[in-house]
Amino acid sequence: MFPLQHFLYLGALLFSVGLIIVITKRNAIMVLLGIELMLNASNVNLVAFNQLNPSALDGQFFALFVIIVAVSEAAVGLALVLRVYHDYKTSVPDELNELKD
Amino acid sequence: MNLLNFIFYFLESVAALSAVSMIFIRNVFYGALLLITCLIALAGLYVLAFAEFIAVTQILIYAGGILVVIIFGIMLTSKISGKPLVVEHANLFSGTLAGLSFLGLLIYFLSAQKFNVFSTAKPLPEASLHTFGIELMSDFILPFEIAGILLLIALIGAAVISSSIKSKKV
Amino acid sequence: MEAVQSYQSTSVELFLLIALLLPLLSFFISFIISEKYSWSVPFLATLLLIVSLASSIYVFFSIWKHEPFAAHIHWFVIGDFHFTIGILVNNISALMLIVVTGISFLVHLYSAGYMVGDVGIRRYFAMLGFFTFSMLGIILADNLLLIFIFWELVGFSSYMLIGHWKEKIEASTAATKAFLINRIGDVGFLVGLMIVWAYQSSFNLIELNSSTDILSWQTAASLCIFCGVMGKSTQFPLLTWLPDAMEGPTPVSALIHAATMVAAGVFLLARIHFIFTNQALDVVIIIGGITSLMGALAALAQHDIKKILAYSTISQLGLMVMAIGAGAPEAAMFHLFTHAFFKAGLFLAAGSIIHSLHQAQHHNNDHFDVQDVRNLGGLRKKLPFTFLIFILCGSALSGLPFFTGFLSKDAILTALQFWKGSEFSWRWFMFANGFIVSFVTVLYTFRMIWSVFMGDEKKTINLSITEPPLVMRAPLAILGFASLWFIVSINPLDYSSWLYTGLHAGKHFHFSLMPIISGLWVMLAFVTAYVIRNKSLQSTFLMNNFHLDRVYDTLIVKPTSQLANLVDHLDRKWIDGFIHGTAYGQVILAHFTNWFDRIVIDGSVDGVAGVAKGIGSLTRSFQGGKIQLYIFWAIFAIIIFLIWLII
Repeated sequence: MFPLQHFLYLGALLFSVGLIIVITKRNAIMVLLGIELMLNASNVNLVAFNQLNPSALDGQFFALFVIIVAVSEAAVGLALVLRVYHDYKTSVPDELNELKD
Repeated sequence: MNLLNFIFYFLESVAALSAVSMIFIRNVFYGALLLITCLIALAGLYVLAFAEFIAVTQILIYAGGILVVIIFGIMLTSKISGKPLVVEHANLFSGTLAGLSFLGLLIYFLSAQKFNVFSTAKPLPEASLHTFGIELMSDFILPFEIAGILLLIALIGAAVISSSIKSKKV
Repeated sequence: MEAVQSYQSTSVELFLLIALLLPLLSFFISFIISEKYSWSVPFLATLLLIVSLASSIYVFFSIWKHEPFAAHIHWFVIGDFHFTIGILVNNISALMLIVVTGISFLVHLYSAGYMVGDVGIRRYFAMLGFFTFSMLGIILADNLLLIFIFWELVGFSSYMLIGHWKEKIEASTAATKAFLINRIGDVGFLVGLMIVWAYQSSFNLIELNSSTDILSWQTAASLCIFCGVMGKSTQFPLLTWLPDAMEGPTPVSALIHAATMVAAGVFLLARIHFIFTNQALDVVIIIGGITSLMGALAALAQHDIKKILAYSTISQLGLMVMAIGAGAPEAAMFHLFTHAFFKAGLFLAAGSIIHSLHQAQHHNNDHFDVQDVRNLGGLRKKLPFTFLIFILCGSALSGLPFFTGFLSKDAILTALQFWKGSEFSWRWFMFANGFIVSFVTVLYTFRMIWSVFMGDEKKTINLSITEPPLVMRAPLAILGFASLWFIVSINPLDYSSWLYTGLHAGKHFHFSLMPIISGLWVMLAFVTAYVIRNKSLQSTFLMNNFHLDRVYDTLIVKPTSQLANLVDHLDRKWIDGFIHGTAYGQVILAHFTNWFDRIVIDGSVDGVAGVAKGIGSLTRSFQGGKIQLYIFWAIFAIIIFLIWLII
């Protein structure tokens, strides 16, 4: 059996990396990628904790639903990115500040 | 060290490295590819963690669905000019600071905990998949249905949003 | 007006007002009349003055040897105090009224001939009228403040008339000098008024007269008022303006010397004689003695015919002031009366000489100083009428018997003799002074007449000189006639006649030997004068009036100028410097304040605003539309929360 800590450390790393990508990258698609990374980091944790009680599949179900939500999010997000790009000719999230002031 | 251990550490390091290198690359397309690499490595790890169904779903949905959508998005937003879509960095200091400090905090918390490692309870793969289906249709029927509706809504929404019909917006 | 007197009050009042206001009317008419009709000004002014003179004569006969006439109206009210102005006419006022209006009328008449063709003739007659009006104001006013006001108006009028020929630099300088010296005296007058007010709270002459006891303040007050008299009547320290005032037209000199300007001082002394204490009177008599001697001696050495007369006036005024100081204002007024006529006659006669010679010079294009007696001589043939007037008036001035001057001089000498009892004291110096002055008077008068009319003609030999016109000769005739004794007294040797008794109701001093002594003394002087007639006194010391001008120049004018320069320097350097320094300091302070205002006050306000703005923009930056920053701040909050958990 593999040490549970490794999964958790990996999830922490993935989440942090996703966070850095979300904050620093000046491209909407890249931000979406970071978000996917963070969702997967949570999936890693869910799957890992599922090992503490293998007879109950709660963790795996949660991971499944997370994947479903991620799919929805990715689909809608990408649609938004395309829409914005079509209207504003940009994919930099900071430049979309029309609601400011 | 047996083969499984090797595979485990290998996949783990592949996932970590590909994720970390996503920070440093500037081409969105490479980012998408690195993400696929990371996700496939994670799928392998899921298998090792006795979550075969999740692993399969991961490969199917991410590698087959999301990534294709993403690559299409990249292509559409870069006008297909052949020029690589270069990504600028912003908030580099604050982002790095937040990410690293968050990582440090997580590792601090994780290392402070002792988790019991089960070596005995090893569920059978077929029993697992079987019970998975039964559970999904019994105890988790409501989230399952809601997930279906959510997917439907997301599908319609994405289609509406990205449709080329000129919106009412000026 | 509410009349105090019941009898004849309305008619006296009316004629008084006519006499007083017609000269003022003359002043206004002469000023407003247009240039085109300026030829009518002498006629109109003279007409008004003759009406004024007639009214005065009526008033004189109504008042003379009756009770004084007084009337007053309310002027203004301060608090509970009612200030009144009014008229007080007693015997001396009535006498002066005739003198002033009479002399003024004659001068007007004379000026109509003398000033003909003058460009400033309207201004001249206007100021003559105003001069007369002011003098009448002094004579009639019943309180000291009113007298002071008219006193100043007299000074102003004399300034205007002395400087009538304002193109002449000497004339304007002389006018300024007369004005300034009068101001010096008037400061004393004003202080005296303040003292009177402080102690008596009244300026009314009747009220002041009613307090009989001698009070200590009276010495100070009377001496201060005497300062004003010194300026006006050219007493010792302030006598230098009168000779210079000869720069004015000669009729003006006649008016000033006879009736208006210098007479005002003597009249005032007689009018307020009751204020003077014995100590003050001692000062008055000493000043008068010094003045009379100085004037007489200075007159000896003059060459200018008008200046001889001017110094003679100073001398005669000194005699009058001596009489006042000897406690005999009636003698002073008597002499003032007689002096007014013969001195006016002398001046007008001198004016006619000047006028005739100027006319002759004008025809012959000959130029020499017609006023210098050294250029004249032997004019008795060419100007017999003027010579006659000179003889008459000069005899009166010298005090020859059968002339008015003899009588009035006798009155003064008698007063001096009986002054302060009979014991021997310094009063004898004054008595002797009076005799010396009368002796010297004969000398210079004889010398003047001799050098002008006797001997051989000098520079006038080629001139065809004619007598002045009738309009000028008429006043001369009247004045010459008025120099004869029977005008004032039937008995040519006794001055106690109708006039003198009218002036003084009390006990009369009489010394029957005095007319004889005086007459012999004058004869002796006359003989002496004849003996030394061809000797001329060459003394620059006397010529320049004891160098009094130079003394003043050295002692007063130069130090004053230096003081003024020093003060000017101080003013420029220190006070201006101080003011500039203050100004610079204030500018610096203003700059500092400005800086403080901008930096500190504005800064604090701006700072508050800036803090608010900073907070605002900080808060706004959290929601600046930058999604990634939102995420960062959210994560940051979580991190802080986690760190707080650890700690």
